[in-house]
Formats: sequence, structure tokens, C-alpha cells
Amino acid sequence: MSDDAPANEDVAAAESPRPSDVDRSTTVVARTVVRVVVPIILVTAISLLLQGHNLPGGGFIGGVLTATAFVLVYVIFGLDYLQATILDRRDEVDEGMVSVYRRLFALGLALAAGSGLAPLLFDLPFLTQAVLFVEHLPLYGELEVASALAFDLGVYFTVVGALLTIIAEVGAE
Amino acid sequence: MSTTVIAPLLVALCTAILTLLTRPNLRLLQGVSLLGAVAYLGAVAALFDRVVGGETLVYQVGDWAAPFGITLVGDALAAFMLGLAAIVSVGVLAHAVLYVDDFGQRLSFHPLYHFMMVGVSGSFLTGDIFNLFVWFEVMLMSSYVLVLFYGGKQHTRAALNYVVLNLLGSAVMLVAIGGIYATTGTLNMADLARRLADPAAYDVNVLPVLGLAAVLFSVFALKAGLVPFQFWVPAAYRAAPAPVTAMLAGVVKKVGVYAVVRLYFTIFAAASLPRALSLPGLAGDSALDFFGPVLFLMAAASVLFGGVGAVGRDDLDSVLAYSSISQVGFIVLPLAVAATVPSVRILGVTACLVYAFNHGLAKSLLFLVAGTVRESVGSTDFADLGGVAGRSPVLSAAFFVGALSLVGVPPLSGFFGKFLVFDVAARAFATGAAGAAATLAVALLGAVLTIAYYTRAWNAAFWGEPSERVEEFLGDDGSVVPDGGQSTAEAALSLGGMVVVLVAFAVAVVAFGIGFDVLYGAAEAAARAAVDTGGYVDAVAPAEVVE
Repeated sequence: MSDDAPANEDVAAAESPRPSDVDRSTTVVARTVVRVVVPIILVTAISLLLQGHNLPGGGFIGGVLTATAFVLVYVIFGLDYLQATILDRRDEVDEGMVSVYRRLFALGLALAAGSGLAPLLFDLPFLTQAVLFVEHLPLYGELEVASALAFDLGVYFTVVGALLTIIAEVGAE
Repeated sequence: MSTTVIAPLLVALCTAILTLLTRPNLRLLQGVSLLGAVAYLGAVAALFDRVVGGETLVYQVGDWAAPFGITLVGDALAAFMLGLAAIVSVGVLAHAVLYVDDFGQRLSFHPLYHFMMVGVSGSFLTGDIFNLFVWFEVMLMSSYVLVLFYGGKQHTRAALNYVVLNLLGSAVMLVAIGGIYATTGTLNMADLARRLADPAAYDVNVLPVLGLAAVLFSVFALKAGLVPFQFWVPAAYRAAPAPVTAMLAGVVKKVGVYAVVRLYFTIFAAASLPRALSLPGLAGDSALDFFGPVLFLMAAASVLFGGVGAVGRDDLDSVLAYSSISQVGFIVLPLAVAATVPSVRILGVTACLVYAFNHGLAKSLLFLVAGTVRESVGSTDFADLGGVAGRSPVLSAAFFVGALSLVGVPPLSGFFGKFLVFDVAARAFATGAAGAAATLAVALLGAVLTIAYYTRAWNAAFWGEPSERVEEFLGDDGSVVPDGGQSTAEAALSLGGMVVVLVAFAVAVVAFGIGFDVLYGAAEAAARAAVDTGGYVDAVAPAEVVE
């Protein structure tokens, strides 16, 4: 990001004193907006994931939305920012977060396939789902526990892992 | 409901995921991958054992009943094709472990390979045309990356062609499937066959379905590499690593052939044409009579185009790629006869399946030999090769067996494949069917061309005095002279391992020829299952939809 946006740099220089450790090519407006928006996106993504088995939403769309939140952070704060804050290390630019994403991808697939295989233990066909209603919970009332959520969670991790692997790899080039 | 049906799919899926999880340890990764391929063979054998008697097993994923849920159907036809895929896959994977460099294997080769097998198994097992599209995509997505595996400039261009063409094909396929859904109101294959057999009761207009089936047919022809959709074949086969090419030619192409057999002989055969549409000279009014002449034209053109193309090529890989076009023509030729002449229908489909099996085995072997030659000598150009037989007799013998099998010399399995093709054409000729004489002539000309280009390849690459390059890279005792990073001992060991795999393949080609009864029995059971529309519909028994 640093070399190809000189115009933004000028605007940022004119409007605000530049913080020393953040990428200098983005404006303070963009940084502030991203700080506010990213948590909202993540909460929306998680709510879509949780309601996915019987309302519009699901693992795929939740995963894509989560990936866009990460992309915003990448675009505004640069590729090294996540690695430095989440993994707390600044070396190995290529293999740091990417290896985390790859593992997430593999684990997501394993979770989705595992949730499909579990019914075979009960002599039911592959991918059979079940639902359980827990009632009379204090404060919460009725809670719906659907086995489809495990599959959705697997899809979610797979999508997040795959999209971010691609973005981080292509972004690093 | 029996888990046997879905077992091959699950084994391939779990192996793919496990190879993703065991990335850090290469030896463990290779072990898991090979073990998975062997387990796949076991799962397929279990399914084969259950259904070879003519039983059709149905599996409703997630316990959703037939026309609504995801239906998998394991019958003798699916089991036969799975058997071909499993046998070729084990051998090719064993070769790939030695052939593909460690970095590539660690990066993504094994998961992609097994995901491709997931797609292949799904395509063979599915009982739903939309799922057929999905499994095609699973298979193709993995194959895109595998074709692009080397990532050089030329490779990328060839792979890009392959990707763009197949994406176009997939788009057309999806449109055709959408059209079929719009006209018939179902995607389940058994339900589709039932509705086409009795269009008045279900208010289905058969004519648009026939047109859409023709559009679908062009997509399957593209996947199988039939003329006029053959142009992607040579470039893609040259670009991909040898084990991937072996899988593409041996297994992935056969998925296109399987789709033609399953959809047109089992499903669309239920539809009958209005009399006005029958072609002159053909008596029947089944939808198959419409596709018979089309199949014949494409098959004949493939046999001749591929054969003539292969005779004129100057490197081993290209000869094999063009030969592949020609041989797929041979696979489809008996299907054309089977479609037009009902009395030889079962025999025609049997011939197609036997030929497909033999081609899968022998062509994979030949592509692996070409890859091994490239690995040891560094080139497959005829100008650089010559006299490999003198330096590496076992490797050359493996090529010899594979080539003889495709030429059709007894007692190799290829002989029976060719024999059955001629048998079908001759029987059709005896009944006085139109075009049977042309079929015989094409088969004869194709067989002569096959002899010509394999003789030429054998003489140019393996026979005679060793060329300079062969002398340089292959020692007197068949050992490999170092060509860079690898030490002689290590290179010789991995080459030795590859030769062992090739010998195993060659032994399989001979064994299936000597024990041909088993292969024929399986193919005949598969052909009976393929033409038994009623049995298929009854087994799946889709619920009636109340509108």
C-alpha cells in the first residue's frame, strides 16, 4: 500500500499529525471509519452464522462478511498490522498469518465433514441433522440447539480460511 | 440404507482433509495419502461386491426422500466406473509420490488429488443432475490447479485455455440443467426418467428436453475430448505433470463417457420422439435414435482425427495426447451402434465400458512412462530420444505392454476391447442397420492408425541405438547420471520405484487380459444396469409430488 497512493498521503499530511506506527498512506477518516465498522461487521457476520440454519444467512455468507472485515483492516492498516497485533510478532511476513488461515481452512473442512459423519455412529445417513429445544432457561427463555450449526461453523471457518489465505498471499505479492 | 454406497466418497473426502492436516510432516502426509487411496480401493471393492449381482443400492443423504434430497445411487455401472477410478488412482498416486517434487507434494498436490477423486466418485454415484454439475465442478476445480502445477509460462497458457473452456462448458451445463428443471419440474434422474416416459401424465413437453439434452451432450463431449471439442486436449496434457495427465486421460475423461451412458441410455432413453423428428433411414422413435448418429459422427471424427494427428507428432507426450482423442472415439463408437440398434444395445455398452477400462489402465501407464522418461532423460522429443530400451529395458517393456494393449494384441485386455467393438459393429451389420458398414470401416482404419503411431513412437524413442542424450543421462546399467541437485543414488532409487509402479501397471494390463472373464462379467452387469431404466426408477422410487 505504501508506494502507490501519494495523493492520499498528501491529504493525510494536511489534515492531521501522522501517527508514527500506522501505515502513512491512509487518511484518518478511513482509519476511524474502519475502527467503528469492523466490529459491527463481525457482529453481523456472527449473527448471520448463528441464525443460518433456519433463517437467511449461514456459514458461507457469515464467512464472506468476516473476510471483508479482515480485508478492510488489511487495506487501511497494511499487511503487517494483524500479524503484529494478533500474533505479536513482526517477522516472517509471508508465513505468519497465512499459516493460521491455512490451518483454519483445514480445521473448518474437518469440522464440516466430521459433523456429517457423526450421524453414521447412530446408524443414520450422512449429514442427518437433529434439533433440541432447551426450555425454561433463566433469563434466556427457550434455546434452540441445532446440529446444523456445527456444519455451518465448519463452512464458516473454511470460507474465512480460504478467502484470507488467497487475500494474504496475493496481497503480499 | 447402506453406508457402502457413500463409503468411497467419504473415504476420499476424509483422506483429502487428513492430507491437509498432516502438511508439516511430508512422510506422514504421503503415508496418509497412499493409505487413503488403498482404503478407497477397498470401499469400492465392497460396493462392487454388493451390486455386481444386479442389485441397485440407494442412499438418501440426510434422510431426505428421493426427489427432494440428495440421492446417491450405487449400481453395477457406477461400481464399474468407480473400480476403474480406484485401480488407476492407487497406481498413479504411488508414481506421483516419487515423481512430484517434495515442495509440490507438501504444498497442495495430495489434497487436490483426493478432492479430484471426491468429485469423480460423486459424479459416478449421484442420482441427481444438479448434483452431477456440482461434482463435475469439484473435480474440475482441483484439476485446474493440478494442470497448472508447474506454473511456467507455456504451462500457464495451456492451463488457462483448459480453465476457460471448462468454465464455459460448466456455464452451458448449468443453463441446460436449469432448462430441464423448468420443463420437467424435477432434477432427480429417476423422477426425470419417469416423467419423460409418461409426458402426458406429468404435463411435460418432451421436445425442449430433447434439445436441452443435446446441449448437455456437447458439455459431456467437451469433458471427454471428442471431436469437435478435442482442441484443449494436447496442450493441457503436455502442461500437466505426468501423474496428473495420467489421471486426466485415464479417469477424468471417463466421467464424460459415464455421463453419456447414464443420462442418455438410462434416463433420456425413456423419452420417445414425435415421428416427424426421426431421421431418414432410422426406424426407431426413442430419444436414443436421435443421439445415435450424432455419437457416430463425433466418434468417427475423433478416431480419425486423433489417429492422423498422432502419426504426425514428434514427441512422446503429443503422440499420447492425440492417441487419447482417437481412443475416446473408439470408446464412444460402440455406444453409437448401441443407441441405434436395440438388439446389440447391451453388447454395445459392454464394449464401451471394457474399452474405457482398458484405455484407462493402458493410457495411464503410457503417460507415466513418458513422465518417467522425461524425469530421467529430460526430454520426450523423438529428436532427443532413441534406444531407451537398450539402457532401461524394464521401463521400455512397460511402454511396450501398454502400447500393445492399445493396439489390441491378445492376450492383453486391449485385445478384448477392440474385439468387442468390431463384434458389435459386425452384429449390427448382420442385422442390416444403417451405417454399420461405415462403423466397421472407421474402426478398421482407426486400428491401423493405432498400429502406425505406436510403432513409430516405439521405433523413435525406445528401439535402435541410444541417442547422445540417452547415453548421457542413462548409464550402461540403467542407472541415472546426476543432473543437478539429486545425487545419483537418490535419483536411481526414485527412478527404480517409479519403474516398479509401471511394472505393476503392466502386470495389471496383462492380468485383466488373461482373467478377462471377470472384467467382462462386471462390464456386462454394468451395461445391463445402464439400459434398465425401469429398474433404476423402481430402486430410487421417488415420491410423487402433489402440485
